[in-house]
Amino acid sequence: MIRRILPPLAPALIALLIFVAFPMLWVLRTSFNELAGGAYVVDALTLDNYTRFLGDPWYLVNTLWFSIRIAIVTTVISVVCAYPVALYIAKTTGFQRNILIALIMAPLLIGLVTLVYGWIVIFRGGGLLNSLMIALRIYDDPVRYMWDIKGVVILLVYIGTPYVVLSLLDSIERISPFLVEAARNVGASRWTAFWKIVFPMTMPGLYAGLVIVFSLNFSAFAVPLMVGDSNTQMIGLIVYREALLNNDLPFASALSVIMVAVNALILAGMAALFGRLILNRLEAKR
Amino acid sequence: MSGRPASQYPKRTYANGPRSAEMKHSMSNDAIQVLGVIKRYGATTAVDNVSFNVAQGEFVSLLGPSGCGKTTTLRMIAGFIEPSGGVLRVHDRDVTHLPPNKRDLGFVFQNYALWPHMTVAENVGFGLKLRKKSRAFIRDKIAESLSVTGLSGYEDRLPRQLSGGQQQRVALARALALEPQVLLMDEPLSNLDRALRVTMRRELKELQARMKMTTLYVTHDQEEALSLSNRVVIMNRGKVEQVAAPYELYENPATSFVADFVGVTNFLEGTALGMDGKSVGVKLASGQVLRAIAKEAVTSGTQVRALIRPERVTLMTASIEGENVLTGRVILSEYFGAVLRYSVQLDSGEVLRSEVHNFDGFIEDGARVWICVLPEHLRVIPQETAALT
Repeated sequence: MIRRILPPLAPALIALLIFVAFPMLWVLRTSFNELAGGAYVVDALTLDNYTRFLGDPWYLVNTLWFSIRIAIVTTVISVVCAYPVALYIAKTTGFQRNILIALIMAPLLIGLVTLVYGWIVIFRGGGLLNSLMIALRIYDDPVRYMWDIKGVVILLVYIGTPYVVLSLLDSIERISPFLVEAARNVGASRWTAFWKIVFPMTMPGLYAGLVIVFSLNFSAFAVPLMVGDSNTQMIGLIVYREALLNNDLPFASALSVIMVAVNALILAGMAALFGRLILNRLEAKR
Repeated sequence: MSGRPASQYPKRTYANGPRSAEMKHSMSNDAIQVLGVIKRYGATTAVDNVSFNVAQGEFVSLLGPSGCGKTTTLRMIAGFIEPSGGVLRVHDRDVTHLPPNKRDLGFVFQNYALWPHMTVAENVGFGLKLRKKSRAFIRDKIAESLSVTGLSGYEDRLPRQLSGGQQQRVALARALALEPQVLLMDEPLSNLDRALRVTMRRELKELQARMKMTTLYVTHDQEEALSLSNRVVIMNRGKVEQVAAPYELYENPATSFVADFVGVTNFLEGTALGMDGKSVGVKLASGQVLRAIAKEAVTSGTQVRALIRPERVTLMTASIEGENVLTGRVILSEYFGAVLRYSVQLDSGEVLRSEVHNFDGFIEDGARVWICVLPEHLRVIPQETAALT
């Protein structure tokens, strides 16, 4: 089996090795090195970089735990926003559907810098969002969104939602309308049929969307860099700062390793939870 | 077949409000009444003024080629499709505009439509759970339904772990568990392989007879329809062609569509001569006159079709004389074991198909044959209805 599959995959495997596995191993190795004279990386086998992070409550609470919280909050909001949109698009066909999918994809196709400039217009004091909120009497005085945690959350949700919509859409469209009819036939109302049949069956798509958005938002650095302030020091941003501004590659590497490990741990937890809840049933083998 | 006493009917408010006078007049023994039902999709009419009824405990099939509107009709009765016109009644209750979950009808889907994330027991018990029945009741009912369909012991399996036949049984058990007033089935056996289909068909018939469940069954398979049903509704192009018992349908087709769709038949075109009781003369293109039977009055001089079933076409290799004798030549013989099928080209040009048992001997290709057609086996249908095919 392996002998037959391996040859055609060889180029891909080599590319993966060179561009993914090797850099990651290099990061892992670097995380045990130390800095000499402020900028020179010296080969070593020390845990100093890890103890520096784990021993400092600011890193633990204000970056790692903060990133986890932001990722959870933005992922949940993305899912809540995405679900009705995906349900709606699933009902459309033809031209209308193509337009809607193009609109959903649009934020993913525009560069982040352009996107942020667009949002500045919306976020600023007399901007669209503030004018709207004041007009709707939700609050009276302009609120600061730009360079604030609110802006970070809104943008992360904005960028994350399309991924959830697309992965949910795939799940929803796999559901045969006969399954809903069968539920209605045995006495289920529209709502019960949705809740007991459609919703559980969209779990694979929901799960895929959660994984993508959580991972993206947990390690986000561009959005907190451009839209955040000193209170939104997400872990990805710290890695960027240590590696490119402070030239402390060993510490940045240790932060990266911790970031990937925590992310993997959370994803594993989610996989176990969803697996036990529903995915095992939907994907059970004969 | 006696109707249920009025007190046994579930107390419900009618969708269109009380319509006492009209309701009383139409009280009947019928479990299902389809009255002038129409379904339009834009300019096309999928179901065109269809009416028929299903009596309490009766097994009725809707038979027709694909696209004839039979499934659309069934789905309208179930409430999955809103009719464009007409009235649907179930046990004298107007259900035309009721949502499907208020109709109390069992439905078995062609593709089974089992919920993949639920076990067999959960699939069967779902409707009972929605009805807030007690746990013990649900457990017993699941066990009972699964034992009736021969699936005891499969409670904890997931649908995808079952074969097609087993999935079909679960779908049936799911419908039966709710003891619906009426069971609707949409080509339930068509996804199974042939051997299994025949077995399931027999089981279905036994089960239906035992439970006296009023059943409306959609199929394009005439063998299924004829063998299962008390009566068959033949549909073509959105319209009902004939409603009759299987025997009637085969022996007395009302239209040439029915004759052609149910079984194999031979058509002889001709002009009607005078009628004498039910007997009518048909003048063929060759000038020969055949005596035939007509169920309805046929006007002399009109174009008609005379139908004869292949098993009624008896071939003789010796010359015979008399009325209703046709002559021809065997152009093709096919051997099927128990039966032999011949194609005979008549001297007048038409080709007749003949089916005989193997113990009647074997006739060589090219042999000259004489066919004596008994008038009672030759049925006349006016061309107006025949023009459809």
